[in-house]
Amino acid sequence: MKKMLVFALTAVMAFSMTACGAKQEAAAPAEEAVASEEEVAEEVEEEVEEVAEEAEEAEEAAELKSAVEDGIFTVGFDAEYPPYGYMDDNGEYTGFDLELAQAVCDLEGWELEKKPINWDAKDAELNAYAIDCIWNGFTMNGREDDYTFSVPYVNNSQVIVVSSESGIKTLADLEGKVVGVQQASAALDVLTDEESDMKELGDSLGEIKQFSDYNTAFTELQAGALDGLAIDIGVAKYQLNSRGEGFEMLEEALNAEEYAVGFRLGDTEMADIINADLAKLMEDGTIMKLAEKYEIADMISLE
Amino acid sequence: MSIQTMLMQLLGGFGQTVIIFLLTLVISLPLGMLVYFGRASRLKPVSALVKVYISIMRGTPLMLQLLLWYFGPFYLWGANIGGYKFTAIIIGCSVNYAAYFAEIYRSGIESIPKGQYEAAQLLGYSKAQTFIHIILPQVIKIVMPSVTNEVITLVKDTSLVYSVSYVEMLAVAKQISAAQTTIFPLVAAGVFYYIFNVIVAFLMERIEKRLNYYH
Repeated sequence: MKKMLVFALTAVMAFSMTACGAKQEAAAPAEEAVASEEEVAEEVEEEVEEVAEEAEEAEEAAELKSAVEDGIFTVGFDAEYPPYGYMDDNGEYTGFDLELAQAVCDLEGWELEKKPINWDAKDAELNAYAIDCIWNGFTMNGREDDYTFSVPYVNNSQVIVVSSESGIKTLADLEGKVVGVQQASAALDVLTDEESDMKELGDSLGEIKQFSDYNTAFTELQAGALDGLAIDIGVAKYQLNSRGEGFEMLEEALNAEEYAVGFRLGDTEMADIINADLAKLMEDGTIMKLAEKYEIADMISLE
Repeated sequence: MSIQTMLMQLLGGFGQTVIIFLLTLVISLPLGMLVYFGRASRLKPVSALVKVYISIMRGTPLMLQLLLWYFGPFYLWGANIGGYKFTAIIIGCSVNYAAYFAEIYRSGIESIPKGQYEAAQLLGYSKAQTFIHIILPQVIKIVMPSVTNEVITLVKDTSLVYSVSYVEMLAVAKQISAAQTTIFPLVAAGVFYYIFNVIVAFLMERIEKRLNYYH
């Protein structure tokens, strides 16, 4: 009976350890817990070590991939995010960020794999090594503790888009109104984060509604279900250009922020490579050429 | 984007939808039978375990199950899940649908009167012979309408794989829709789904008619 109990305990511990990835630290309490049951303590220890070793091996295998050792650079992006990443008229994934990633791959001799991801699942995809980086109009401000970033390359700001008929002209007019933001977006952080300057504005709003893509959001705005949309300025310009009349962008921006390429926390090796390449591409004019193509030339922050 | 390119793109995504649909069906139909045998097993631990399995499969959203199948191996064992997405989707969908099919089979098998088993035994049929030659042909007829229902639901459920960012028809439609800022691709995707399901329903009806023996 005793043995069975200890075995069950071991199984639970082994499971929780691999689950949270804290192998070495967890091994110590495991020893303590069974110290009184001397005759089986050793057995437990052995099993714990075995599990820890297996997990480490798995992690090593995963790390190989992150360093692009197989020559494939996997970029995760939201394929519904023009002009940074979207499907072009020929059905190919393109956009400013993806073309820039391609330019980096050309320099490094890597093959670029464009992997459209569900924006809500971006952290899981990145941490599970399914992608090497998030490169898709990715705001770095406020996320510094969660990712290792490249140098910022685009100056962005969050703006408010309203319907022309709404009569909303300033941020103050938004009091009590319903404002839409994309799930897990920087705009959401700006309006709700405790440390944000715009927290007050966020609190004054009637409601913050989260949506998954900009198409539904703009339709809701048009249909009057939303009074305003908090949105990245580059995306706002693209949407206003292609949707024509009926929408307006408020002159006051919510904030100023920067885009960078997001890597797994601690993956400085990759960040360094990308930084060096971005500097090269800025120098030879590639970046400015791309920026002009996507009409965001005034937003490039590299020098 | 011209309408032609758009339809070609949707067709590409539709291919993915069909592949997921067919693979899931081919795996889950027989797997459901196996699950039923487990459910009906006289070994108490086996039938209890299978009951729990069916209850979990039916009691939680398929979307969550897909997320667990895909990301689970990494969070449990730190496995590299780079090329594993499609496998995860097929496992997730098949294992889920097998649970539903098992219950449908059960409804059919349990509706056969006990007297038939007794008569078969009297005539010297073995248990396996009774099941294959007497029970199964009737069961297939009985469960066809329910299976058709489930199969049609499966066609639409393939769109749930977007939760693990797999690009099938609905995802393509949403992407085109975002880039072109119009909802037309979504309507077109709806038409694709509808046509496919009409074909599925038609085929199932044909099969049902074929099975119209004993009448």
